[in-house]
Amino acid sequence: MKKLLRIAVVTGSCCVFLAILSSFIAGARFSSLRFPWRKAGLTEEQAAAHLLSRFTYGATPGQVEAVVKQGLEKWFEQQLEARLPDDSLQVLLQGNEALTLSNTEIVNTYPRNAQVQRMAIQDGFINKDSVNKGDQKAYRDMLQQYMQQKGLKPVQELTRLFINQKVLRAAYTQNQLQEVLTSFWFNHFNVSFTKNDCEQYIPVYEREVIRPHALSRFEELLLATAKSPAMLTYLDNFNSTGAKEMPNGKGGKKKAGGLNENYAREVMELHTLGVDGGYTQQDVTEAARVLTGWTLYPMNDYYNKANRERLESANPAALERRGVVHTGDFLFQPNRHDMGTKTVLGKQFAANGGYEEGVELLHMLAHHASTATFISRKLAVKFVSDNPPQSLIDKMAKTFIDKKGDIKQVLITMVNAPEFWSSDALREKTKSPFELAISAVRGLDARIHQPYQLYTWISRMGERIYYYQAPTGFPDKGTYWINTGSLLNRMNFGLALASGRVPGVSFNLLALNNNHEPESAEAALATYCRLLMPERNSEATIQRLTPLLNDPRLQQKIDKAAAKNTMQQPDRETPETIQPGYAAQRSKAAATAMAPANKYQLSQVVGIIIGSPEFQRR
Amino acid sequence: MTSRRAFIKAGGLALFGIGIGGVPNFMARAAGSRKATGLYKKNKIMVCIFQRGAMDGLMAVTPFTDEYLKAARPGLFMTAATQGNNNPLIDLDGRFGLHPAMSSFAPLFKENRLAIVHGIGSPNNTRSHFDAQDYMESGTPFNKGTASGWLNRAAGLLGHDASPFRSVSLTSSLPRSFYGDNAAIAISNLRDFSIQMKGNPMAANMAAKSFEELYDQTSSSLLKETGKESFDAVKMLQKTDVSKYVPANGAVYPTSALGNALKQIAQLIKMDVGLEVAFAESGGWDTHFNQGTATGIFARNVTDLSSSITAFWTDLGALQDDVTLMTMTEFGRTVKQNGTGGTDHGRASCLFVLGNDVNGGKVHGNVQPLSVENLEDGRDLAVTTDFRSVFSEVAGKHLNIHNDKVLFPDWKGNTIGVMRS
Repeated sequence: MKKLLRIAVVTGSCCVFLAILSSFIAGARFSSLRFPWRKAGLTEEQAAAHLLSRFTYGATPGQVEAVVKQGLEKWFEQQLEARLPDDSLQVLLQGNEALTLSNTEIVNTYPRNAQVQRMAIQDGFINKDSVNKGDQKAYRDMLQQYMQQKGLKPVQELTRLFINQKVLRAAYTQNQLQEVLTSFWFNHFNVSFTKNDCEQYIPVYEREVIRPHALSRFEELLLATAKSPAMLTYLDNFNSTGAKEMPNGKGGKKKAGGLNENYAREVMELHTLGVDGGYTQQDVTEAARVLTGWTLYPMNDYYNKANRERLESANPAALERRGVVHTGDFLFQPNRHDMGTKTVLGKQFAANGGYEEGVELLHMLAHHASTATFISRKLAVKFVSDNPPQSLIDKMAKTFIDKKGDIKQVLITMVNAPEFWSSDALREKTKSPFELAISAVRGLDARIHQPYQLYTWISRMGERIYYYQAPTGFPDKGTYWINTGSLLNRMNFGLALASGRVPGVSFNLLALNNNHEPESAEAALATYCRLLMPERNSEATIQRLTPLLNDPRLQQKIDKAAAKNTMQQPDRETPETIQPGYAAQRSKAAATAMAPANKYQLSQVVGIIIGSPEFQRR
Repeated sequence: MTSRRAFIKAGGLALFGIGIGGVPNFMARAAGSRKATGLYKKNKIMVCIFQRGAMDGLMAVTPFTDEYLKAARPGLFMTAATQGNNNPLIDLDGRFGLHPAMSSFAPLFKENRLAIVHGIGSPNNTRSHFDAQDYMESGTPFNKGTASGWLNRAAGLLGHDASPFRSVSLTSSLPRSFYGDNAAIAISNLRDFSIQMKGNPMAANMAAKSFEELYDQTSSSLLKETGKESFDAVKMLQKTDVSKYVPANGAVYPTSALGNALKQIAQLIKMDVGLEVAFAESGGWDTHFNQGTATGIFARNVTDLSSSITAFWTDLGALQDDVTLMTMTEFGRTVKQNGTGGTDHGRASCLFVLGNDVNGGKVHGNVQPLSVENLEDGRDLAVTTDFRSVFSEVAGKHLNIHNDKVLFPDWKGNTIGVMRS
């Protein structure tokens, strides 16, 4: 008995010890988390609201309180870990098998239109003389039939699924910071659906290159993008070859491209050093030579099956001896590589360096002092303000160097800095259209049945995600997002969403307020400002709007117009999207009229809040 | 700025409007009763049309005396001579012939308002649509990372206050040409430029009033200023009922995307809202298959292009003096026809410039006989005029901007006299 007890005690203390140890280990990584919000004169709730406004796509109802309860540092630590279970999101994403396909599967299942056309002609399914001639509908039907027979699907279907997935993920993932950073890094290493050559590779690019590395070391992220089919095609490096392969000018249809500097230039200007990072045109050319032969593995059964078969049938040892490198979708082709010596930023690359010299180059760029500053600044612009203080950038850049480009550590330095919490930073960022739409959905605790409808609005407001043409990515600043056209669309979005006129998004405004309908317009404003914009001062908003909302003359006209409209239009709304104001109105039509002073439309109040200037800020 | 706002308020427009389809009568009367004295000083307007997909310049404006071309295009070559009941090219100068589907261009050419530049293209020989469009729109043919578009830089060089409608693209999203620091808007339908609540104009009216109050009091100067401009802009548009627009001088626009875009650009010009740089697009030019001759897909495309532009020009009437229009396309197409009755990606193409200060009635540029040794890479019409030379001249002369270092930072070259000096 005594012995047993001792074992129990030992086991128990072991457990305690292990628990302490493991919490120590887990905590040790981020033990430096200490947010100086108190010094900035904030309440803990205000600090939590600020934190949520920067590292999520918007606070959900009650989230500020939850984060306070959990502890701000603890919450942030979990976000850095990015390992929270996402079961409910996974349920929403179920059935979209297309989003788990590999690049090879995608190029062979979702061919581009031009390819389908050529395939159908080659297979004798359509006659080449029928293209652009005669009955266009019959021709399209034939093509469609052909695709069905071959098990092919239009690539637009894939892009749509992919975009839907992004909207859902942003709205519902528990690992919000990871998703915010996924968007950030995607935009930093931008590729675009506008370039057909790379469109098929973009879903896998985000899934396997960007998201898993969003919180890793910068070098890993850089290398992964450099080797990805999406980037290789978007910035043409796949086609860049050493001087030996220069075209002979005779003009065959397909000829080797020769040296292409596009990727080499942008990897320095946009991905690492920054435009003033201290490189010359000579460095660009030399870096391009270093990266010759970096291309993608032949995946497309229609265009380059023979190439693949040649590679597959070759003796692996022989390939290795030749210096061929094949990892995933990436292929290094030594016979396209410039074997000469090169010098980039003063660093010598000896002759015959092969694949490894490219890795060395990217390593050097990833850890360069200019890169540390450039990336730190960009992160500070994203998370702190459009014009972040130099003192903050310096601190972050120092961490970037000290911690070898560990993105988590750079973020910790940023959030630990007083600059992050200063009044100059609070509400200083303008939400991008995507952030606006998703924050509205999250604030309303809405369900999204048709994500693409939101995407359409987001595009209209000026952020057609995944379609930004230039490698710069969208400029991340308020002055870019806000112009006369986009601002009106933001207001219209608020009105449309709140009144249930964005199809496929449903919510229950009353449930947000514990099923209590505010008694007056003024009360509704106060309540829903607090719900949608926690810890913001909304007094001025309420003061300005109350007289308008209470104008009985105006209200009567609105009600009349709305009632007329309701009677004329068949109601396509699901019960959930019916807004209290409308509902009240409908029942009212039969019942006795309410006192004019009490009449207001809750959906309209909420629409105005979402379109208000305060809601555009984060 | 102040005076414009004052005007609007005095005109009874302070009460917010409700979507252009339902402008209250009192507002329309108020606006209509006084002459809309130029809210913005009268400016010149440049309209650019991007023909995406690469137009076959050799079919649009054919060097019909070229025997090499005739041999290279047995199924596509057209002649200026009447043979039986064919529909011949329109002979412009004994050497070049305009595609018959562009007959509406012929009078403009004869009146010396329409100029053609042939053999135009980019020094970068990429044959990728994406890359070539990107380079043409950024204006830097060897640099992908240029953040701004050339039209945005052009607007920035104008050197005077901008109206919210200074740079307008009639497209659903902002084109590369408009990327950059100077405000530009993309709008596919002018009717969207209002606060809207479908089916409930009164509620929209009240929402608009509410928004105006809120944006007026926000502490963010960006939101406050832009908010003010937005509401001013809406009011400016409301002076005219854009959905009931009737083109002037009997102009008939095709009911195509381009026709609609140009019609709305004409409306903006007539409304005098400060438009200076406008952009529209035309698609379907990637004619790999059966592009046809006097009829067929190419003919349909050029019909739309020329009819839209001609309708626009007719509609402008007396305002033609203020406007210059220029087309552009990313590259041309192979001299030889391919195996599927079409043409593949090539190098040089041609473009059209229309305006009263244009050195028109001429085919500018340099097109050599199309023998193999004269072709670029042995297959394509050679680029003999850099697109920046013409863009710079048209924008420079018409908009009175003279800073090529900003407009086309990597370019040094001469203009070719496509504008009258």
